[in-house]
Amino acid sequence: MSPSEPAIQVAGFTKRYGKRLAADGLALTVQRGEIYGLVGADGAGKSSLMKAIAGVLSFDGGTVDVFGSRIDSARAAEKVKDRIGFLPQGLGLNLYPDLSIDENVDFFGRLRLVPGRELAERKRLLLEMTRLDAFRDRPMRQLSGGMKQKLGLVCTLIHEPDLVILDEPTTGVDPVSRRDFWAILGKLLEEKGITALVSTAYLDEADRFHRVSLFHEGKVMGEGTPAELVARVPGTLALFRAEPQATALPRLKAAFPQTEAMGSWLRVFADGLDAAGARAGIDAALAGIPATDWFAREPELEDVFVAMLRQRGARLDTQLQDDDAPRPLATSQTPALAIEARDLTRVFGDFRAADAVNFSVPQGEIFGLLGANGAGKTTVIKMLTGILKPSSGSGRVAGADMRSAGLAIKERIGYMSQAFSLYHDLSVVENIRLYAGIYGLDDRQGKRRADWVIGMAGLAGFENDAAGRLPMGLRQRLALGCALVHRPQVLFLDEPTSGVDPIGRRVFWDILFHLSRNDGVAILVTTHYMSEAEHCDHLALMFAGKVVADASPEAMKAAVAREAGQLLELRVDRPAPAQAALRAAGYASAALHGRAVHLLSKDVDGDRTRLPALLASAGVAVQSVVLRPLSMEDVFVQRVTALEDAQRRTP
Amino acid sequence: MNGKRIVALAWKEWREIVRDRLFFALAFIVPTMLMLLFGFGLSLDVEHLPFAVVDYDRSAASRDYTYRFISSRYFDFKGYAGDARALDSLLADNRIRMALVIPPRFDEHLARGEPAPVQVLIDGTFPMRAQTTQGYVVAINSAVSLDNMARALSAGRGIPLDEARRRVQPVKLEVRYLYNQSVKSIWSLAPKLIMLIMMLSPPFLTALGVVREKESGSIFNIYSSTVSPGEFLLGKLAPYVFISIANAMVLWALAVWLYDAPFKGDPFFFAFATLLYVICTTGIGLVISMLVQTQVAAMIVASIVSIIPAVLYSGMLLPLTSLSPGASAIAHSLPTMYYTNIVVGSFLKGVSWSALWPDVLVLAAYAGSLFGLGYLLFSKRPKS
Repeated sequence: MSPSEPAIQVAGFTKRYGKRLAADGLALTVQRGEIYGLVGADGAGKSSLMKAIAGVLSFDGGTVDVFGSRIDSARAAEKVKDRIGFLPQGLGLNLYPDLSIDENVDFFGRLRLVPGRELAERKRLLLEMTRLDAFRDRPMRQLSGGMKQKLGLVCTLIHEPDLVILDEPTTGVDPVSRRDFWAILGKLLEEKGITALVSTAYLDEADRFHRVSLFHEGKVMGEGTPAELVARVPGTLALFRAEPQATALPRLKAAFPQTEAMGSWLRVFADGLDAAGARAGIDAALAGIPATDWFAREPELEDVFVAMLRQRGARLDTQLQDDDAPRPLATSQTPALAIEARDLTRVFGDFRAADAVNFSVPQGEIFGLLGANGAGKTTVIKMLTGILKPSSGSGRVAGADMRSAGLAIKERIGYMSQAFSLYHDLSVVENIRLYAGIYGLDDRQGKRRADWVIGMAGLAGFENDAAGRLPMGLRQRLALGCALVHRPQVLFLDEPTSGVDPIGRRVFWDILFHLSRNDGVAILVTTHYMSEAEHCDHLALMFAGKVVADASPEAMKAAVAREAGQLLELRVDRPAPAQAALRAAGYASAALHGRAVHLLSKDVDGDRTRLPALLASAGVAVQSVVLRPLSMEDVFVQRVTALEDAQRRTP
Repeated sequence: MNGKRIVALAWKEWREIVRDRLFFALAFIVPTMLMLLFGFGLSLDVEHLPFAVVDYDRSAASRDYTYRFISSRYFDFKGYAGDARALDSLLADNRIRMALVIPPRFDEHLARGEPAPVQVLIDGTFPMRAQTTQGYVVAINSAVSLDNMARALSAGRGIPLDEARRRVQPVKLEVRYLYNQSVKSIWSLAPKLIMLIMMLSPPFLTALGVVREKESGSIFNIYSSTVSPGEFLLGKLAPYVFISIANAMVLWALAVWLYDAPFKGDPFFFAFATLLYVICTTGIGLVISMLVQTQVAAMIVASIVSIIPAVLYSGMLLPLTSLSPGASAIAHSLPTMYYTNIVVGSFLKGVSWSALWPDVLVLAAYAGSLFGLGYLLFSKRPKS
């Protein structure tokens, strides 16, 4: 077997589950030593392919070769399993909750026949590196999401495989742990020369990989380095303001389908146009409305992905009728604040799920509650909607406490829970009529609202299909429709976009924007997609039950830029030594992103000249230094690390 | 086969069972609890039946007749009722299960040697109990009749009462109950409960234990490693077999010491046969776990597959010979019947190898084929 032989070679891979085609002729090649990413939504076929490569799933067509062995039978798969580490999807689900960290690692080591002394040594190193060594005796069920994720990685690596296959290792983990995870993974792979195949549902994580495949509905939309993929659809991303936004938005949409409103900003991807062409085209489309605060830059992978899907016929438009406006919130006095949390606290045993949470949401605003799984988002929503009693503090919706509010107020809120609370065996129309019945609508109203929901969600033609059989994006919009069937004035959405593809997410945000601007609905939405946060007018970042920041997205980014610096991306020939050299020189924020290194710089102009020289002395050639916009993830990581540092200083 | 991997798997499984509260209860508490509940609750003996009497005659003869029932250990006298109508509500409320209605001039009819009818009302909601009750009533009634005839004979012919008694009943039955001398149902029930509980507990534990890994996704640790299916099954199931054997021993001790069931057989033979039976029922759990994907489905299938053979086709409640030919064929195709033969033989009859070797052979064949089937169904590279 020659060393240049690829680690993984897949051709024409096809997998069916019953009638459903999960993977349709997939092809990809992973070279040795590469970190290769599979990026796509739930149900795009990533897991099926990864399981087939790991030899734990049989498939219907095509070929899979791992290290030159063809995986075509259980016997053939056995031959390479010794060289593979596989981490299945689901945070910590493959670990044993009743065993301690130590016992979990030991079990995996013994299962893989790692000799006793070597096992102890590797365990010590890996636990030290992942900073889990202080918790060795803690049962796995008591670990945080980030710790479970790292333990999963340790258990996957304990037999020192040549190839690791990690299925969505970062889903649902807070951004700080996520960065930590990438850093540890990068270091381990570099040291041991391991090849990694990693999937993610977050498009903004694509630049962590050397190369990626973009997955959509069982097909690969594109393969290459993140930069190559972005270059595949030429165009310009324009960010600007134009008032009145409500008039500007439809005009822009007519000319540029990939137009989004992000708070008070407009975000347009002008495909095929350079910066000057985009400006001219947008000014023409705006027809007299002036565009202010203009920024033009290279599009992000998500814009390119959506453009690729559009080229294949995906549509972004929605039909929203305005004739069915929501009822006013209160007849006598309209409270200025739709939602208000005052020192909202909930204690479970000695665990503070929500710790003195304060925020307020006025009418017509989209308010984002950001945080990882377990940060307390759902607990806050449950207390506000009156499902859960606060331990102390109070939550008010439309000026009333939901626990004691009368039916009249309760009927004005809508709630869409995680996992979409639909009845999977009922048809689309039956689901809508059921919710209409629950909210006390009469038959005539119910019928009218059902038509409205079907139009809004783009469900025409699916009316009699079982809800469980709809694609994710449609199912999500149906759930939104059910939450809106009684025309609520305050809407709570708990992780509404988990697992939905980029097109579905965009259409969904368009609907939310329309509801907030045209109908004055106050929307509280939780998400762990940091990139989505920019759609909100106002944000609260939650970490370990506390709100650690509460401002508009721009204000948060501006504050981080002021305090910690702006984001520089250095493209280099050897990223790992470059990162080490930068850290040694005092750039603690230096992080590996595929073949590039990211760092925060307080002196951008100085660093542009200083850094290439610094790296040249470490033997690293710098190809480019680019100023990149800060992401919400950068903001979150910065906030939380600052908070943790402060806690460490004052014990 | 690599012993280290088997040990690693068994060790992990053991820790999980001991630390998970639900599994701990299912493994160590439920079997004993079932033994206590069934043993004390499921008595098939019909005794202390509450009954009432409507006596329209109020004579010495009617009181004497009634007294025969009152003094029987099978009946529990609840008092006299005013008239027949009062009995309806007593029977409906379950306050009595049987009633005697003695008509007027009962004494007079008897004295004249005419037929003296007595009405018996029996609660027929449980046919078995009703039939047993009727048997008791008939027996007591005929004893009374014979006694009356003997008295009449003795008075009429002037012979001694004992002589008269012998003449009215020339054939005297001498009944000796074998194996269960005092015909206590618990003597035969307690050993059969070992069969029942060992049919319920191991399949549940095993099926849930394996399917739990499928549901959580930790089964992928097995699929993706180099563990062979045989190693996995041995390591995974060894703790369950071990726990079930320990349970069987506890149940045996309860049967012998708590319920005083006699154990007359060969303990080594019984232990060996029980081991086979436990492996067999664990194998049932294994096969179930290979066919279903969720713990809920595992529970439902396990309860159907284990309760029906254990209760209906094992000979626990009904003798197998009273089953229809079809039902009997089913019973012969299920393992519970063979182990019932073994427990009854070992406890009550005191027989072992020479009488029961075919049953042991069948159990061994079952255990082997269930594990073989489980092995064949287990794939480290499944379709979904």
